[in-house]
Amino acid sequence: GLRRCLISTDMHHIEESFQEIKRAIQAQDTFQNVTILSTSETLQSVKPSDTCCVTKNLLAFYVDRVFKDHREPNPRILRKISSIANAFLYMQRTLRRCQEQRRCHCRQEATNATRIVHDNYDQLEIRSAAVKSLGELDVFLAWIDKHHQDTSA
Amino acid sequence: PCVSGGLPKPTNVTFLSINMKNILQWNPPEGLQGIEVTYTVQYFIYGQKKWLNKSECSNISRTYCDLSAETSDYEHQYYAKVKAIWEANCSKWAETGRFYPFLETQIGPPEVALTTEEKSISIVLTAPEKWKRNPEDSSVSMQQIYSNLKYNVSICNTKSNRMWSQCVTNHTLVLTWLEPNTLYCVHVASFVPGPPRPARPSEKQCVRTLKDQSSEFKVK
Amino acid sequence: GAVAILPAPQNLSVHSTNMKHLLIWSPVIIPGETVYYSVEYQGEYESLYTSHVWIPSSWCSLMEEPECDVTDDITATVPYNLRVRATLGSQSSAWSTLTQPFNRNSTILTPPGMELTKDGFHLVIELEDLGPQFEFLVAYWKREAGAKEHVKTVSSGGIPLHLVTMEPGAAYCVKAQTFVKAIGRHSAFSQAECVEVQGEVLPL
Repeated sequence: GLRRCLISTDMHHIEESFQEIKRAIQAQDTFQNVTILSTSETLQSVKPSDTCCVTKNLLAFYVDRVFKDHREPNPRILRKISSIANAFLYMQRTLRRCQEQRRCHCRQEATNATRIVHDNYDQLEIRSAAVKSLGELDVFLAWIDKHHQDTSA
Repeated sequence: PCVSGGLPKPTNVTFLSINMKNILQWNPPEGLQGIEVTYTVQYFIYGQKKWLNKSECSNISRTYCDLSAETSDYEHQYYAKVKAIWEANCSKWAETGRFYPFLETQIGPPEVALTTEEKSISIVLTAPEKWKRNPEDSSVSMQQIYSNLKYNVSICNTKSNRMWSQCVTNHTLVLTWLEPNTLYCVHVASFVPGPPRPARPSEKQCVRTLKDQSSEFKVK
Repeated sequence: GAVAILPAPQNLSVHSTNMKHLLIWSPVIIPGETVYYSVEYQGEYESLYTSHVWIPSSWCSLMEEPECDVTDDITATVPYNLRVRATLGSQSSAWSTLTQPFNRNSTILTPPGMELTKDGFHLVIELEDLGPQFEFLVAYWKREAGAKEHVKTVSSGGIPLHLVTMEPGAAYCVKAQTFVKAIGRHSAFSQAECVEVQGEVLPL
């Protein structure tokens, strides 16, 4: 699972980066009645054995789609998004090494969970979908944190 | 229905959340001193379809509203809004940002029980409890929600004026080899590794270790 | 007088110690004039996915010094491209780009400073505050033949932390090293420091 693929990423720094832009990004999201990660249906229902693969798939979702589709004029926010994007790139590489050592197994359930997210994304206009997904990074980060808490003091 | 926009909006509409007790609070609209303004609150579950009324917070004169029950599923996110009403006029809605209880609630301090011996102090911590709807409901510890909940125990020797702290995860801590007949002060803060949250340390408690039963001290 | 073409800054390099990263370059000298510099960066994400995007450094736009603290810009353990240009009045030089991308996992990690104090039989350690990315591994042992070494992980510096309750009349030694989870590396251990503990307190 995810904990065995111990991601030597400083999750706290990513969370802090997002906290600093959360209000500004979420304020740009005017569709309160729609979610991309749809908390209870998708992420919470992922089984522990699927968390590593779902994490890998959702990292790719953010790196390959969300960060690319979002246009950010504000340099302060741009820096924080860049910080998160590059950290996700590093996490992807770590999980890829993990998969090569057959410790990040992908089953159909993980693929289904990821497809729901992509389907939700495709329902919206591209810029709205990107800013909504960015605004839900705290959900994704909290889910990763929960599933890979190491035991250091 | 009232004339919307006839009044200025309430300001600083935020959630104050401690151990999942989620209170919506706001400041009165500016420039309406002396006018008997009332307020109405609505809330929204992110991803759902419509705004919902909170009947106990309809036409109220206080500037806060307890939405703990409505926001008790801490894995979801919420919005809330409030408008001011005076006679036939009302303000536009003033809305919170997106509120995510799981990440934003402050973790209250544990209960701290101290017992002393000659050269030791036993500290027993009881994890803070999650808000509950009814007093007779069974208690849920915040530790059950945050499995990586830790405590930062700060100890001050008031004689040497030295202070040190210890980070612990279990609920009992025995400080041994202390100085007899000395006042030690202790306060404890809960914390959860992750996004920054405001900390609320416990009240400082001071206890005196017992006098050395044999007699006065003489250091070899 | 007007400068024909403002030369680009040369000899860019990064000095990085304990996760503090300083970009330096040779100043552009125009007699009688003050030249200003601006720095931009691009993480691996930008170079792979949005290669036209360069991000202005957090702290270094139109500054006079030929150096820039890029610590707040280099926030992931991936290669970063860095570039600098000079500006004089309305004229700007070409961009000069660091020849090799910089990755923070090459930072030099030094042993941490530490201060040992005693409060009676309690050994208290305060480690150098190197920032939130640093954890510490503290090894301590009783100074006697065959003594077992104990190890404690400390998650932050800058606050006095209880290390061990000591036995009367014994001597204890301590050494520490830093650990940066984000790059998965340790520093060397610091020099060991030892403290003696007062003897048992006897009745009169």
